Amino acid sequence: MNKTPLFHLSMRNEITKQYAWMVRICSFLFAILLGAVIFICLGNNPLEAYGIILSGSLGKASGIRQTVKYAVPLLGTALALAPCFRMRYWNIGAEGQITAGAMAATFFALNCKTMPQLPLLLVMAVAAAIFGGIWAAIPALFKAKWGTNETLFTLMMNYIIIGVVKWLQGGPWEGKPGSQIIPNFVDNAILPKVGGVYCGWIVVLVLVVLMFIYMNYSKHGYEIAVIGNSVNTARYVGMNVGRIFVRTAFLSGAICGVVGYMVASGAHMTLYSDVAAGVGFTAITVAWLAQLNPFVMVIISVLMGILEKGASSLQTKLAIPASISDIIVGIFLFSMLAGEFFIRFKISFRGNKKEAAA
Amino acid sequence: MKKFISMLLAVVMVFALCAASASAETDIKVGMICIGDENDQGYTYNFIRSTETASEALKAEGINVEWVFKYNLVEGDPVAEANEELADDGCAIIFNNSYGQEPAMLQVAKDYPETVFVGCTNEGSWKDNLDNTVNAFSRIYEGRYLAGVVAGMKLQEMIDNGEITADEAVIGYVGAYSFAEVISGFTAYYLGAKSVCPSATMKVQFVGSWSDATEEANAAQALCDMGCKIISQHSDNTTPATTAEKNGVFHTGYNADMLAAAPAASIISTRIDWTNYFVYAIKAVVNGETVDADYSNGLAEGEVVLTTLNEDICAAGTAEKLAEVEAAIADGSLHVFDTDTFTVAGEKVESCLALDMDGDFTADTGEAIYDGYFHESEVPGLQSAPFFALRIDGIEWVNEAY
Repeated sequence: MNKTPLFHLSMRNEITKQYAWMVRICSFLFAILLGAVIFICLGNNPLEAYGIILSGSLGKASGIRQTVKYAVPLLGTALALAPCFRMRYWNIGAEGQITAGAMAATFFALNCKTMPQLPLLLVMAVAAAIFGGIWAAIPALFKAKWGTNETLFTLMMNYIIIGVVKWLQGGPWEGKPGSQIIPNFVDNAILPKVGGVYCGWIVVLVLVVLMFIYMNYSKHGYEIAVIGNSVNTARYVGMNVGRIFVRTAFLSGAICGVVGYMVASGAHMTLYSDVAAGVGFTAITVAWLAQLNPFVMVIISVLMGILEKGASSLQTKLAIPASISDIIVGIFLFSMLAGEFFIRFKISFRGNKKEAAA
Repeated sequence: MKKFISMLLAVVMVFALCAASASAETDIKVGMICIGDENDQGYTYNFIRSTETASEALKAEGINVEWVFKYNLVEGDPVAEANEELADDGCAIIFNNSYGQEPAMLQVAKDYPETVFVGCTNEGSWKDNLDNTVNAFSRIYEGRYLAGVVAGMKLQEMIDNGEITADEAVIGYVGAYSFAEVISGFTAYYLGAKSVCPSATMKVQFVGSWSDATEEANAAQALCDMGCKIISQHSDNTTPATTAEKNGVFHTGYNADMLAAAPAASIISTRIDWTNYFVYAIKAVVNGETVDADYSNGLAEGEVVLTTLNEDICAAGTAEKLAEVEAAIADGSLHVFDTDTFTVAGEKVESCLALDMDGDFTADTGEAIYDGYFHESEVPGLQSAPFFALRIDGIEWVNEAY
């Protein structure tokens, strides 16, 4: 009796660059085709729809501005997550860390209205970094001391801080009684615009370079990589693994916090509980698609920005519901992730003995 | 000479219009940014219905409206982006349908002086120093007053029939937040009830959300448990109606006819009909006229409407009484917030400011009480969005958390 399953997966030994890029291009084309099927089902011309996605997001200045506005927090957060993921520490709490940073920055925006712009913005940034960092370091501390599961812990921390902001919105920081709205920041607490978009895009681009250096050419980066490969090896060579967990989580949370501050101050000009708007989760996908390479993250975030803004244009121009646009975005992400999978694994079918033996 | 120039300008304008559209018809693109979508069957659905009726009315006058909708936008930058996108896309007028959208809308309005931005139910226009932003809010409190009359008549009938004692005539009100719009609404409702049932009192339970079906049901249940005989609401779902029915008490609704949801409890509902306003504002833009900075009409103009009265359960004579009160409100002989009909801490209110000029969220300007009544939503002079926030005697706030 042949008990060989219909197919099985095996890791590829050698992955040539050529092969990897071929798969990536194929998965991108596959996503475009699959998306086209959806458009056809809806009765739209897929060429027209894709044209609108591109012209809406890149066709004119306001479109480009909005694409960049989508990409900035995504890129910043993906960068923040990279060191955590490199050491196989699953920080699912970026959403909350963004919110925590935005909240800390808002505290100073609301209470130091008379401070001049530059010092106020700096104080807000530092506060955001520290509070975001602390919010991320708490689960790391618990993991270091008592071996708690960071995936669940960081996830739960999201809901706590979002709840706190909800309370602030309707409580001590509320503007008009009963409105549940925190008043807009004073002008001094708003990030200046460069090229039509708040200057956060410069900050994250600088961060790309810094993060690349940190991950690849610093002692910290090396320690993170060793822990990621094997915690026991790290212990054996005398690294204080717990301390590195906490330190890296703090760094990650601090960057998320700064992202939150930039979004609240630059884009919304106020704080509300949905300030992170799912970026903390989408950034996880961005980080993995880029295989934790900061430069690739730039491309992926911009691509996501194009899809997001394009989807919004689709709604305006073709009255395609926003939920369909979400499906298109999902198809692209899914196809790209599947592509990465097929780069690393291969499928061997039953009956193809030679392949299976290889 | 002046006359000649204006004639010339008019001719040029006509040519420009003709060039824009080959026929005598005019096409206009209109943006509509919604906090929810039609699935809420309440707040946003009510707006969408009105866009449809407005389109029909405008079509009859040769104006073809192309509505561009944006859904599920609550606040912050996404709202700003939607406004920007619609303005870029050529919308001549953009409606924002929720209070929280206004700060973001104002950010964009600066950059598009040719586009008219409307903050429905909002209040920024009179102080934002922008010519292209306007506000509108119909006098829903008049409709609530009438719904209150219906509720009061039912309570009085129950007292007269000996089903309840005079002290037991308690109204339960499910409110979203302790927000001026809500306070104004339930106060009007209570005054309506009290005008026909002098012993009526009211309990208000705030739910802390504009739309949370479960919490609204819980609040209604708590009110029923406290002995309320009629439930009303300022929140988006029909669950207060179904909860009232389950508890064998009566209900009056908001935003939509709730008869189908609770046929044995729902007596009547009231809602704003935005059709007139949409027609007015869009026509003004088409004709190149200015849209009123603050716009508020009520029952008399058909902008606040009552749904079909449930004749099976309402008190005898309700329809006649409604017609009488409606006429009295329309001809100005009855004012909802007549200062002779309510007291605050036992005292008649002689003075109350309406508007906040300096941005500290306490009213500091605009006397609202004169000629013997509180001038709610009075424009011009005051603002269209409700500002009545007095806590009058007879209404108990059960929880003040929100």
